[in-house]
Amino acid sequence: MAHVSPSSGSIIVADWHRCKDSKEYFSKILHKKRRKNFGLLESPVMPPHVAVDTVHYKIFLSGKSGVGKTALAARLAGLNIPNMHYETTGIETTVVYWPVKLRENGRVLFFRLQLWDCGENALRRFDHLLPACKEQVDAVLFLFSFTDRTSFDDLSNQIAKWTGAPVVKLVVGTKFDLFMHCDVAERDVRNFQETWSVPVLRVGGEVSDGLGDVASLLNCLAEHLWASGLCISQTPFTAGDRDCTLILT
Amino acid sequence: MMMLQHGSTQLLCLTASSGVPLFTRGASKQLPFSVIGSLNGVHMFGGGHGVVLSSCETEGGGKVVWRVFQDSMMLIVVSGGGQDGAGDSKEDEVRLQRLLENVWSCMVLVLGQDELTNVRNVERLKRDLRSCFSLIDQLLEDRQEGILGNLTHCADSLLPPNPTLLQEAVDGFAQASDSEFGCLIVHGRIAAATEKWWRLAPPEVVLLSALIRSLSASGSASCDYPVFLPQGSPTVAHRLLRFQLLPGADVCVLCGPTPSLHSAESGMVGRFWTPLVETLRDCLAVGEHSLPRSVSLRPDVLALLLINRETRRSVSCVRTSTNRPLGDPPLPSKARCWEILKLFYIFSTTRYFNQEETLCVSPEERAQRANTDDFVLGFSHQPLQCYLVTEECKSYGLQTPQHQLFLLAPLSVPTFALRTVATQTLSDIVGATGF
Repeated sequence: MAHVSPSSGSIIVADWHRCKDSKEYFSKILHKKRRKNFGLLESPVMPPHVAVDTVHYKIFLSGKSGVGKTALAARLAGLNIPNMHYETTGIETTVVYWPVKLRENGRVLFFRLQLWDCGENALRRFDHLLPACKEQVDAVLFLFSFTDRTSFDDLSNQIAKWTGAPVVKLVVGTKFDLFMHCDVAERDVRNFQETWSVPVLRVGGEVSDGLGDVASLLNCLAEHLWASGLCISQTPFTAGDRDCTLILT
Repeated sequence: MMMLQHGSTQLLCLTASSGVPLFTRGASKQLPFSVIGSLNGVHMFGGGHGVVLSSCETEGGGKVVWRVFQDSMMLIVVSGGGQDGAGDSKEDEVRLQRLLENVWSCMVLVLGQDELTNVRNVERLKRDLRSCFSLIDQLLEDRQEGILGNLTHCADSLLPPNPTLLQEAVDGFAQASDSEFGCLIVHGRIAAATEKWWRLAPPEVVLLSALIRSLSASGSASCDYPVFLPQGSPTVAHRLLRFQLLPGADVCVLCGPTPSLHSAESGMVGRFWTPLVETLRDCLAVGEHSLPRSVSLRPDVLALLLINRETRRSVSCVRTSTNRPLGDPPLPSKARCWEILKLFYIFSTTRYFNQEETLCVSPEERAQRANTDDFVLGFSHQPLQCYLVTEECKSYGLQTPQHQLFLLAPLSVPTFALRTVATQTLSDIVGATGF
């Protein structure tokens, strides 16, 4: 790992969305009690006296066909989760805005997480897609499905491909709610976590208020990204990316 | 024989030479394998006797249409028929023929022609074909109100209040993306496009619009999709880049290896489009009406479809019921109006008007598949107007060298006034927008 994993809640305030003082920030990503869908020309707007910086990250979703990459992106963004599985036949990116409060100094930041999702078959058929996904990527979420053992067994292969790359790596197990069809034992997950020292997160089940069910995953991701020290602070759409300010924490 | 439930449509795809089933879509209850085998068998039997079996009807009002594409793939569509008042079998057949063409085009769009015509490994092809299911299901469901392009093969368009600004932005954005093909889609309809985009074959424009609509509906922010153009480039993939500017407004370009999605998004989207946010919002406000407020339609127009025959573009709208005088018969619902509009389009174009054929078929095949009734061919002249009065509403069709207009009016409008309503509506729209 390129960095020391932070323990959960050590850098950012966990469950901040439940606190009263977070309300004015979270209200900017909600619309009529649902998550707001932002076009590329939009972003959460705070009143002028509350200056909030936005930090931009690119996150690649990796995993076998059918594990639920597209569904995870939709869930994290609060979009409608497709009720049927269709292959993603190219790259689709989804933008998630997430307010975060730093424990150290109480500073609030908007994380702009752009999730890059590409169907496995498309990656295989078209050579240019994987390099496009890897270009300037900050984190990789390795997905496996609790209902598909092979997707779990394949994780080591997938992670090995990224050895040495300075990116944040997290593992996400999907369809955790379908315990009747569970194919991956809790013990295996623990062993895996120890061997690779990569955090494993779990998602699945009903979508509730649009915040609670994604907060832990987004906070964990934000925490790792922030701890990795490499943070690109950029205003949207300035030309050239990596020549923007680098903030090292 | 009643093969399917009423109103449901099932699509079968088999290899043409060996009859290996590749996939089936639609209808919750699949046809049994023996029926699929028989459907393929009877077509093959005809082929062996020099007969092309193209369609048949069942006693229960069902319909089967066969079609072989590029000598390599057979598509069969089975319709349960009897959709509530969905017109007679002629209308059904036109709809199903179109469906098969569209399905084939979208298979080429996603996989390319080579993969479909040079089948080396059937199992692999089956797996790859799954990539097309999203679009195919969308075609089968055909649920999106107000989108008629799949039927007319004319691009569903929206006439923005500020066309010049948007046109300049689309042109500039495409140029900056090293592309000559760019378009802006608002509410699933083309609001502006580069000149080259309009020079793509009309069915391709419609197909790309359908793809963009489905990508846009997912709410994702941007896409980089490899696409083959069924007529323009069936064997070499291009990249379709799509950016969601605002929810409901997407800009797209067709390009080669550069620019990367990341660089186009961070370097160009904001530069070209941030100054136009308000213009885009105005455009979104036009909504499903497709027509800017500057066009004032007569109150007795219930719904309309206007086609520009030269540019192969169309605008359409259904107006939500205005206050109806007491005692008048109830007006058909919005959804029903869209349905009637489609049926009346098929009715007029098969019986009276020319349907501009834009299909990718040889002239012989075209003659064979001509949807035009014999008695029309017997006319010594080309009908210019037609009307139809049903229990639900009155419909009027009108064609000029430049346009075709299909219009629905409430029953309360006297039949003799329909012509005036139609001609005036045509000149109102064309006068105000230059469409």
